[in-house]
Order: sequence, then C-alpha cells, then structure tokens
Amino acid sequence: MSSYKILLVDDDRDLLEMLLSIFRRAGYTSLLTASSGPEALRIWREAQPSLIVLDVMMPGMDGFSVLKEIRRISRVPVLMLTARGEAEDRIEGLEIGADDYLPKPFLPKELLLRVGAILSRAYPKQNERVELAGSTVDMANAEVWKNGGKQTLTAKEMQLFEKLYQNAGRIVTTGILCETICGEFWQGYESTLSTHIRHLREKIEENPSKPVSLITVKGLGYRLNLREVSP
Amino acid sequence: MNTVQRFFRRYIFSTVGIMILFLAVNIVLLFAIMIAGNMSGSDPSFSTISDFSDRIVFRDGNWMADDAALSMLQDQSAWAMLLEEDGDVVWQQNMPENLPRSYTSAEVASFSRWYLEDYPVKIWTRADGCLLVVGYPPGTFVKYYFSLEWPYMGIMFGGIAAVFIINLMLIVLLILRNTRKVERAMTPILQEIQNLSHGRPSHLDEQGELAEINAGLNRAADYMRKKDNTRAEWIRGVSHDIRTPLSMVLGYASELEDDPVLPRETRKQAGIIRRESEKIKRLIDDLNLTTKLEYALQPVHFKDVDWTESCRQAVSEVLNSGLDNRYEIVFAEVQPGHPIHLLGDTGLLQRMLDNLIRNSITHNPQGCRITLSVGEESGYCLCTVADDGVGIAPELLNALNQGNDIASTQDSDEKSEHGLGLKLVVQIVKAHRGTISFSGSSPHGLEVRISLPIQPHLS
Repeated sequence: MSSYKILLVDDDRDLLEMLLSIFRRAGYTSLLTASSGPEALRIWREAQPSLIVLDVMMPGMDGFSVLKEIRRISRVPVLMLTARGEAEDRIEGLEIGADDYLPKPFLPKELLLRVGAILSRAYPKQNERVELAGSTVDMANAEVWKNGGKQTLTAKEMQLFEKLYQNAGRIVTTGILCETICGEFWQGYESTLSTHIRHLREKIEENPSKPVSLITVKGLGYRLNLREVSP
Repeated sequence: MNTVQRFFRRYIFSTVGIMILFLAVNIVLLFAIMIAGNMSGSDPSFSTISDFSDRIVFRDGNWMADDAALSMLQDQSAWAMLLEEDGDVVWQQNMPENLPRSYTSAEVASFSRWYLEDYPVKIWTRADGCLLVVGYPPGTFVKYYFSLEWPYMGIMFGGIAAVFIINLMLIVLLILRNTRKVERAMTPILQEIQNLSHGRPSHLDEQGELAEINAGLNRAADYMRKKDNTRAEWIRGVSHDIRTPLSMVLGYASELEDDPVLPRETRKQAGIIRRESEKIKRLIDDLNLTTKLEYALQPVHFKDVDWTESCRQAVSEVLNSGLDNRYEIVFAEVQPGHPIHLLGDTGLLQRMLDNLIRNSITHNPQGCRITLSVGEESGYCLCTVADDGVGIAPELLNALNQGNDIASTQDSDEKSEHGLGLKLVVQIVKAHRGTISFSGSSPHGLEVRISLPIQPHLS
C-alpha cells in the first residue's frame, strides 16, 4: 500500500484506464486523472499530488507547456510520457525540469520502477528499513543492524547504498557508481570505489569475502539483492 | 581528379589534337596540290629548258635542232633562238619577224628579267657560252622579278614564323579560356548531378547563362528532398500512431502475465503477446531511427564519450531487462583500467551495441555465450561482439561486409527477421566515421568488429 497521491495525465482515455490499472495493482490507492493540460493544472492546484505522470502530446496545451507552468512555482516530481521517443524530446523535457522521461510503448514494470525511484528520491522515508540477506539497513539514520550489533555507514557508503537500493536487482555500472559519489569527473576513481564497496560489504554482509547481497558483476559493476520476501 | 575534371582535360587534349591534325592535313594537302600542279602543268617532255637545250647541237658548221626539240616548240606554240657571246642570233626557230636578230648585253639583261617585246621568255646559259632563249606566246605565263635584301628576308621569314606561332598560341589560349569558362559553368551542374545520384542534393546559384539548367536541378533536388521528407514524416507519423495502442497491448499483456489469479496457460499466452509486442516496439524504434539517419534528420550529438563505460551500460541494460538464462554475456577489457574516450553520440553508440547483442540473442534461440570486448589501438576505439551460436551464411556475411542491406533474414526457427537492426548498426558506425566487419567466429558463431576513430573528422 502506498499513500502517495499520483496524478495521471493523458488525452487518451483508454491509456488513462490502463495507467490506473497498473498503479492500482502496484498498490497505489490515491490516484487522480486528467485528460487535458488545463484540467491537469486545475487538479494539480487543488489536490497537490506527490507525483505527476504527464503525456507530452496532447491537443491544445501540450505536456511541455503544462510542465513549464508547474515549474514556475513547484518542484513536484514529474515523469513525462511521450509517443515520439525522440532524443530531442527527451532533452527538452529534462531541460524544462522533468524528473524522468519514458517513451511509449513502455512496460508497466519499467514505469513503476521509475516512479518508485523518483518517489524515493523526492520523499526519503523517515523510517525506511531495507532488509538484506544478512542485515537490515536503516536508511534514515544510515545504520546497519547485523547479528544484533549496530554499525554506521559513512556519507559515501550511504550514497552508494542508496543508488544500489534504488536500482535493486539491477546492475549498476562502475561509472554510474563513481559518478554518484564524485560527480561528472570520476575518471580514475575506480579503485577508491572498490575500497568503499569493500567497507560497505564488511558492514552489510555476513561473510564479506562471499557476498550475497552486494554482488560484483564482473567487468560491469555491482548489483544489490534484497532479501527474498516469502509470499 | 574527379570525373568532371577528367572530362574537361580530355576535351582540351582532343581540341589540341584536332588542331594538330588540321595542320598536318593542310600541309599534306598543300604538297599534294603542288605535286598535282607539276604533274598536270606543261608537257612533261618540255619540263626543263636544259633538256631542250641539249637537243640543239653545232654540227658540220651549222646549228641543228632534232625533231623532238622541234615538236616540243610546236606543242607550246613557242619559238627559240640561240645567241652567240657577242649577241647575234646564230640559230632560230619560228622566231617572229619583228624581233631583232642581234641584242646588246643591256637588252639581254632586260629581257632575261622581264619580257622580250611582250613575249615571256625562258633563258638557259649553255656550256659552250651561247645563250638559249625560248619565247612563248604573250599571256601564257607571268614573269616577276623578285629581289630582297638578306636582313629583310630574315625579318620576313622570322615574322611569318612569329605570326604563325602567335596565331597558334592565340588559338590555344582562346580554346583554353573558353573551355575554362564552360568548365566553370558546368562543374557545379555536373557535381550536382553526381550529388543527386548519391541522394545528397544541395542548392545551385540560379545565375549566368545556364541559370535555367541550375534551376531545373534545384527543382529536382527539392523534389527529392520533399519526397525523402514525406517518407520520413510518414514513417514518423505511423510509428507515432502505433506507439499509444502498442502501449496498451504491452501494458495489459504484461498485467495479465503477472496476474496470479489467472491460469498458467493464459499467463503464458499473455507472456507471448508481451514479447511479440516488444519486438514490434524495437522494430518501430529501429525504423524510425534508421529513416532519420538515412535522410540526415537526426542530428548526431558529438560529445566526449567514455567508451568502456558506454559498453558496460549497454551490456548492463540488456542484462537488467531480464535476460533468459540460456544466454551468457561476458564483458572484457583488452587493456583493463585503461580509460578510452572518443567523440561520439552516447545514445547512438549504446543503441548500436544493444542492437548487436540483441542480434546474437534473436538468432540463437537455443542460447549462446556473447562476448563483448573493448579496447583501444592507435587512435581507434575497438569493440568486438562475438557469439558462439549458429553463425550466419557466407553469402549473408559477404553482403554485410559489402555494406548491402539485408532485406530480411530467416531465424533458425523459421521466423523471418527484419534486417533493420544491423542496418542501423552500420549507419551508426558510418555516422562516427568508423568501420565495421562481420566474420564467423571459431568454432562457430558470428563476430562483429567495430573500429571508431577517437577524433572523427566531421565535415
């Protein structure tokens, strides 16, 4: 169950219906819809949603104009959907201030993954706990609980962990991880990264030399596996 | 030297050749006329006066001419006389009555140059000191006294030669100038025709004498551009219109596939719909991008690209999208830890690698191991994507290496596969001024080698 209020905007009623179904199934209960730019702006002002999924191509007022209007006073997270799928659209959307961009057609999984990532970035949970195979990470306090003992993560380790957690189950490349902790110019940072990873493993893995949560993907990067929750 | 230049060079050579031929023919003709003139002129038996002179002899105290000599005179209606050293006529034949029978040396000098009382005469000084004079009827030939001083002669012959050479040079110069003029007017037109044939229309200045031709070519170029744009727009429009309905198919199929309430068989079928829809999605993306690259509608954004990291991300993307465990992807660096950067378009390059990896996956449904290795060698970024799958037919390999499009290929499970994915790969490599080669990998499978310049020379 998720308490986030999400506004879905698309001029295609059928697509709106499908988006509603996807979000409902994923556990989002508070969902709003709008089928035009002006309607979206009205509902956004009245209901103050936590996130907006915005279609670019709409008759009358398009998604870019709606986003510009919103960005004049608000930093509410916005994910743009477009049927054009062109690089220029992507760049324009991100320049205006979209948080992410998804070209149609898309897989529901991918949409939910991106929405989830934007939400966790925009609204860090106060008491979120991440369950791993051998430990539990308290995101709010940057603490790791393992075998009853408590350890604190450094700022860099926390940044790394957050990035991996946002992409849990997926490979995050060395370059992206380096960029996360030292910005655009990360060249030559790879060895420092492996040091941070080693320290992180010492804190979260039961057996750091045989990691099961923070996996190395040879040549590519790392992947964080969450604890399998038995259904 | 291009075709146009070659054409004009050849034109100049042929013109000079024509001139030389013209001169040669003229000289030959001139000689021919002179020879013909000689042949058809006077009686050949009377061709030389010396010959005639030999037929007059002093015998038994009398001057005598033989019959041949007499008939020579007869034929020409000429007369003859023989002067002694002191100027007296010692022998004559048919000599007019009114002519004197004795001449002073002044008179001899005069008629030897001019005429003897209107009779043109030919003169021969004999070995015995006598002077033979043959007179012809007035008006049969012209005598002209010609005398020039040597320096003046030199100047005259030199002058004639100079005039001749100057004329020749002037002609050559004018020909060159004219050719140059035509060349200058024609070159852009010919160039444009070549461009058009390669599908790269540009715009010509509609000025000068050939403005109409230029305007015609511009119209053809516009027409071509318009047609290209219409086609690209059409593909763009169709692919846009397919995207929204395809979102619904993909979305609902995916929902059904993950719905635990549904029977397993139904979920499996939904899974098939989802996978096939994803294929349509890729096809549309490829079609859109290939059209844009072909008609240069997609600007290539050249930026600094971390080659190794780009390859890593492309491989990770494929792995993250949920790859079947029949497949294994290995990523290797030829020079581990060595940073490789190039000027390129990250989006396009990752798309290129993605297409190559997915090409191996699509053509090997039985599963395979795909190796992607990156490296750098003397200013070029290298990337090899190899699989140990079924490989492709030698004729297809040839077609790929010669840059031919593959209209459609057959999957091993007999499903036809569009060749757009690889076409797009080749287009992206070209856009980066790189090279690509396809070969079989040992013991079986396909190996694709890509080499991209670190600093592409962009025009």
